[in-house]
Amino acid sequence: MEHSTRHRRRQLRQLTAALPFLAPWLIGFATLIAYPFIASLFWSFTSYDMLSPPEFVGVENYRRLAEEFVRGERFGLAVWNTVYFALVSVPLSIVLGVALAVMLSWNIRGRAVYRTLFFLPSVVPAVASSVLWLWLLDPQAGLVNYLLTGAGLSGPGWFNSTAEAAWPLAWFRGTWGFGSKDALVLMSLWGVGNFMIIYLAALGDVPVQLYEAAELDGAGPLRRFWHVTLPLLTPVIFFNLVMGLIHAVQAFTQVYIVSEGQGAPAGSTLMLSLYVFLAAFKYLEMGYASAIAWSMFVLIVLATWGLFRSSRYWVFDPSGARL
Amino acid sequence: MTKREWKQLVAVVALVAVIALALRESASSRVEIPAGRSEVVFWHFWGGKDRPVVEEICRRFNASQQEFFVRPIAMPGNNLDLKFFLSVAGGDPPDLLNQDDPIVADWAHRGALVPLDELTSLTEIDELSKWLFPAAREIGSYNGRMVALCNGLDIRALYYNGDLLAEHNLSPPKTIAELDHAARTIAPPGDASLTRYGYLPDPRRLWSWGIVFGGEFYHPSSGHVTADSPQVIAALDWMASYSRDYGADQVARYRKGDQALPGAAFPLLEGRYAMLMDGQWRVSEIAAVQEAARKRGEAVPNYGVVPLPALPDGRKNAGWVNGNFFVVPRGAKNPRGAWAFMKFWSGFDGHEDEAARACTAGGWIPASQHVVEQPRFQEYLNRHPMFRTFVELAASPNQRPTPAVPGAQFFQDEVTRAAEDAIYRSLPAEQALTEATRRIQTRLEAERDAPQ
Repeated sequence: MEHSTRHRRRQLRQLTAALPFLAPWLIGFATLIAYPFIASLFWSFTSYDMLSPPEFVGVENYRRLAEEFVRGERFGLAVWNTVYFALVSVPLSIVLGVALAVMLSWNIRGRAVYRTLFFLPSVVPAVASSVLWLWLLDPQAGLVNYLLTGAGLSGPGWFNSTAEAAWPLAWFRGTWGFGSKDALVLMSLWGVGNFMIIYLAALGDVPVQLYEAAELDGAGPLRRFWHVTLPLLTPVIFFNLVMGLIHAVQAFTQVYIVSEGQGAPAGSTLMLSLYVFLAAFKYLEMGYASAIAWSMFVLIVLATWGLFRSSRYWVFDPSGARL
Repeated sequence: MTKREWKQLVAVVALVAVIALALRESASSRVEIPAGRSEVVFWHFWGGKDRPVVEEICRRFNASQQEFFVRPIAMPGNNLDLKFFLSVAGGDPPDLLNQDDPIVADWAHRGALVPLDELTSLTEIDELSKWLFPAAREIGSYNGRMVALCNGLDIRALYYNGDLLAEHNLSPPKTIAELDHAARTIAPPGDASLTRYGYLPDPRRLWSWGIVFGGEFYHPSSGHVTADSPQVIAALDWMASYSRDYGADQVARYRKGDQALPGAAFPLLEGRYAMLMDGQWRVSEIAAVQEAARKRGEAVPNYGVVPLPALPDGRKNAGWVNGNFFVVPRGAKNPRGAWAFMKFWSGFDGHEDEAARACTAGGWIPASQHVVEQPRFQEYLNRHPMFRTFVELAASPNQRPTPAVPGAQFFQDEVTRAAEDAIYRSLPAEQALTEATRRIQTRLEAERDAPQ
């Protein structure tokens, strides 16, 4: 009895000593994350313009969202654009990241230089790289279309076009082309170095004896990659998949810059996060913006949950434990 | 003291020094307010070459009297509206704001602005109302009450390259038919490699062409959005005819190329068009190009400007107008000082000559005929004849601003998007505008129903 009281007292003393040190983080978390998180859930059921007190309107904001979704207007457009961007950019970044990492793990001359070169773009500030890409992909004066024209191809409209290269229906309709979202995908691939570094680290962890054993069994380089490297990379691929998806759904900075702040042209780059910003700060509808933000949150949670559920079928865990 | 303690001491001293220096720095960057004067904190959107002009106006105001002291804070860029609104919501707004976005109605609707009749007598408001150009009055009003003071108008007209027109035996167009003819003579459709166009409509300019075609975007007494009226549809359909002739994709690309010009250069001066709609701020650029040619002893290029071409028996001197305006936010600490400065800059209440001085320095269009009539301004017009066209248009009752309704920004964005859909994506004009009108109307009604 006495022992446990003393124990508890010591714990209390430790806590009081620790609290001041934890305070900056706790206060920051409470005021900048926890409070807005909870408040925005409340506001999503209100009409609120930040000047007058919020007025409860029930599920009106969500009803409006549903209506826009069904009609394929703003919110529907934003969901489509976001899903398109995430579904195209994330898989491509994984394929490209793994490919680059594998190549850069080969013992070639100047390997460190190549690794640095490929990683470099991901430390360039998003604003600077976005402006740079705007120039590169300018349909008239841009370097990319200049080179394409030089090669006898007609360059796409990029940020000026609403075309969607990865949309299968466009292939049959004859409206196929590279548009604004494809340009955004291209921009995101340029920053693939972050993922590449993680793959590189994971590649270093693959036990050499597995390769040796595979080689003894007569496996060529492709089969070794397919049956040894790739399965052992799946936990890292899974991690990058989840993080990449969350980042893709939240894409804002690049989108804001290339879309003139409003999803131009014709709403083809209106992503969910941009729509939240516009609704809150341009149209002064904080309640509605909160509803969009919560829909976005639900979308991310569902997608992440789906990925975790799927992981048991394809993510290899050397310890035999399931995620 | 141990080595470790020494290190800690040095770290603490360094930290204190950095903080002290930072505080000193921020204290010294504050402007000294002369004793006995009350400060007017003034946020404005002016940047670039306009900023020194604005600072000079403030300096002259501060030198002109003993009671107030204006401290200008330049906030060019996209997010001034946001900063301002948050400052009002947070309870620490500036005393005065100068801006040019269509946000007067939105803010007034939410009670963020002090109506001008709370700053002065109703008699003076009456005088002010008569003193202003009709368009300037409309820009500052919401629900029949003046909530902002317009201090300058932005007018658009059709610039042309006189040499190019003469080359094709054309004269500056007065009618839409003449404009179409000139455009297609200079750049015959069917050629995919055109490097110069006669004229191409910009989707944002539906606001102008809709009015030229006799349309209205909003019916104030019934509260109905009328962006789908037959005249506005006809205007958009006419604009889209250029995409039909030249190809929507080709038009879109070419227009994008304009935006890629370095330093937002005027595409007309780059030889990309023979005719182009733009505002009065291009007059000085043209003058500079002509002056440079003169100095080099070359032939002076011939540029000119005419009011927007009209339909036969249609509205003359018509177009979309916007302007910069002053607003005093709720919670401003020095509204009296703000009012004094507003009058000084706009020229109202005997300050016409000061306003004329500001307008000639900045190349701006005054908000009142009384400022236009000042000898100083007349002399400026004689030196810049092209500017006269814009000043004459400013007095026209057919110059209309964006409707003063809550959600005007949404209104403007939706109409522009409908125009983009029709011009770049070949959506029928009627469909694009009908859908946009429905969305704006829904939005407008939601705003009206919202609690105040």
